[in-house]
Amino acid sequence: MIFSEANFWLFFAVVFALYLVLSHRGQNRMLLVASYVFYGAWDWRFLGLIFLSTAIDYLVALRMDREVSQQRRKMLLWVSLAGNLGMLAVFKYLGFFVASFTELLTYAGLRADPVILNIILPVGISFYTFQTLSYTIDVYRRDIRAEPDFLNFALFVAFFPQLVAGPIERATNLLPNVVNPRRITWDGLSRGAVLCLVGLIKKIVIADGVAGSVNAIYANPSPSGLDVLVGTWLFAIQIYCDFSGYTDIARGVSKMLGFDLMRNFAQPYFAANPQEFWRRWHISLSTWLRDYLYISLGGNRHGEWKTYRNLMLTMLLGGLWHGAAWNFVLWGAYQGGLLSVHRALAGRNGHAGEGVRRSAGDWLWRVVRIALFFQVVCYGWLLFRAQSFGQIRDFTGRLLDITAPGWSTLTFPALPQATLAGIMLLFIWDLCNEVSGNSRFYEALPAPARAALWSGMLYFLAFGLTTTTTAFIYFQF
Amino acid sequence: MKQYLAVPAMVLAFLALMDLAVAATLKLSGDHGALPSLQRYFDYGRSVPGKLDQWIENPDLPENLFDVAWIPDTIAQSERLFAAEDPAPGTLRGYGMSFLAQMMRAAAEQDPALRIDLHGGPAAPPNFAYALFLKDRPNRRSGDVAVLAILSSSLPGMAALSNRSWSFEQPAPTTYPVFWPDGKGGLRPVEPLVTSAAQERGLRHDPEAATAWQRQLAQEDAFYSQVSFGYSFLDQSPLLRLVRRSWAMQTIASREAGILNEEAGYPLTASLQTMVAEFARIAREDGQLPVVYLIQGRDPADADVLRMVQPVLDEQRIPYLATKDLADPRDPTNFGGDGHFKDSMNRIFAEAFRRLLPTIGWNPERTQEQDRRKAASIPEGRPLQ
Repeated sequence: MIFSEANFWLFFAVVFALYLVLSHRGQNRMLLVASYVFYGAWDWRFLGLIFLSTAIDYLVALRMDREVSQQRRKMLLWVSLAGNLGMLAVFKYLGFFVASFTELLTYAGLRADPVILNIILPVGISFYTFQTLSYTIDVYRRDIRAEPDFLNFALFVAFFPQLVAGPIERATNLLPNVVNPRRITWDGLSRGAVLCLVGLIKKIVIADGVAGSVNAIYANPSPSGLDVLVGTWLFAIQIYCDFSGYTDIARGVSKMLGFDLMRNFAQPYFAANPQEFWRRWHISLSTWLRDYLYISLGGNRHGEWKTYRNLMLTMLLGGLWHGAAWNFVLWGAYQGGLLSVHRALAGRNGHAGEGVRRSAGDWLWRVVRIALFFQVVCYGWLLFRAQSFGQIRDFTGRLLDITAPGWSTLTFPALPQATLAGIMLLFIWDLCNEVSGNSRFYEALPAPARAALWSGMLYFLAFGLTTTTTAFIYFQF
Repeated sequence: MKQYLAVPAMVLAFLALMDLAVAATLKLSGDHGALPSLQRYFDYGRSVPGKLDQWIENPDLPENLFDVAWIPDTIAQSERLFAAEDPAPGTLRGYGMSFLAQMMRAAAEQDPALRIDLHGGPAAPPNFAYALFLKDRPNRRSGDVAVLAILSSSLPGMAALSNRSWSFEQPAPTTYPVFWPDGKGGLRPVEPLVTSAAQERGLRHDPEAATAWQRQLAQEDAFYSQVSFGYSFLDQSPLLRLVRRSWAMQTIASREAGILNEEAGYPLTASLQTMVAEFARIAREDGQLPVVYLIQGRDPADADVLRMVQPVLDEQRIPYLATKDLADPRDPTNFGGDGHFKDSMNRIFAEAFRRLLPTIGWNPERTQEQDRRKAASIPEGRPLQ
């Protein structure tokens, strides 16, 4: 059941209808059941895992909240860490580490029988594991109190709109949404509907529209240099629209139910440097890594070199969070390297978000830097999307060898026209967001203009519906 | 509340206005023969009966597939050609689709002495090609080569009675049987009630026959759905046609996935393997040389057609040519914009095909001698005087 398919909207219609007639307590119970139905629709066996994760953190946090001994509190924290990270290790990383270790032994000339582990990867495990971990750590830090109602806590973990691909919510934000009565407002409904519409266009018209070309290029054993370049640009568009489209729909659906989820993307491709990029891309993960990993490692408090070490470690683990494959680790190292280099060149405070500049020359310079930094981001996406180190090496060579015969030949299937138009419209939409500094800039339009805009977008969505639907990329993480 | 309802009401009104404007533009441009690609784009979403009616009413429409590749017409044409052709054996007779035709034509260009005889239909699934092979039996000679083409992207069509049910955008109405394993090592055909273009046209005036045909499609065709065949009122709105197109394509894609994963009740691999074995047995029984041409399309979601039939090819020692062995299907440079192989690739396949022929015992000259021997009752192996 994915957001871009009709069965999800039928499911949501039923949930919404029930929601309207229930009391707050009833709404929460019904949402919990709906969330488990939503999750179990992938594979009912996943339910045991999410229930286990919920139970561990609920009990640990309750006990920790009452406990006064710091040592015992720490021990309880370790129980939660071991439980959650243990599940991640087994279900997500065990097969990868066993295979890598076997390869290493073979490389060293030692006989190693390959061990094949057919462990199914539960959808969204990295998202809800991080969400429950942040709750336990917050209780440990005494930033929040433990939630006494198990069913409320279970809903915080399993809330279906953001369960499988985020945003990774903090208990400080989502739990009050669960615990306190919510109101369905016309404003929330209309803003939620707009978010859903924008998210569906991003996903269906753009991400699914470019998926065929990207897949063809990355499956091609001998693409041209220009194929690799354009393919990587297209993948940058695909992953942005796929992931931010999901987040928009998650936020939109939540808003209609009276929940407020955090913003996860803020026009990331308008970033001019790595620090700014990570303030705009997958914000819920980057702030999680900052608050629970980077700062725990010491952040920038212990001198320059340790700061670089912490940056590298944080981004390496951030890369590994995405998937059990070495190219994700390499991507993390690349991002850590970029942040370190940027820190070294720009100084301690960096010059992120330099929107304060006003002169035309400054704006022009910023546009140039954005365009250049986009290429740097795209090379990271090549590392991310590649299927092997061999392909990374091969594609990098093809990209750089511009004197090779046939470098400028494009061979991949053409994009659907609706997708091309969608990319241009998305650019304009994000530009309006960026320039106005207001994600609801459209509310300044008079009502008839807004209505015309939404109906145009609905009609446009229908054009894009003809592309083949694909699963959201971030489900695999 | 009024102010909040105003915007959704205006959205609906604008949508309706836009739809009316698009419908009027399409109507006007259609009357003047303008914007044909835009017309086609919106027509893709018409219901299947709506598209067929349009083709009947406007025979000159581009991409009109109404009269294309009906089996009785194809066989009648084959009979005429067979009666008129040089009776020498050794003709290369192909059963398949455009992919096969392009390869065999390339072979004939490379060696003009080759005699080729092609039978097929658009994106023909194996059951269509096999049905043609069976029905064309009287129009082959001992010593001929029979080529059965299997296209990876058309494999799910084995569970369909017609392209109309699984090729929503271009629903060629031509029909063919679905073959099920009979449990005795052979195949049991389920013949369609409608077999000719004339019969299909006649359904417009014979509601009883039309209902029976719909019922058969609903029961025997794995792709039949109300989304593709019903709700004719949606055809009035260009917007709803776009929605139907998406819905129908998704329905077909999910049924295709079910068939490819053998979850849909149709035993795809078993039927295909039996079909290939039966094709080779019948051809050999008639003194012909069977060749299976396995075409792997560019869609990575396609089943690996060679892997599916390899056991039976090996077991029965059936000669085959697999495009996958000569052209990486993942390399888009091997394909043209319409998904067919480029001419250069077809020339490579044709060369491989021509190299294959002598290795399977094809020799038109020698075969003619054998036939003459047979005619004169000269025992095999005795030299001609």
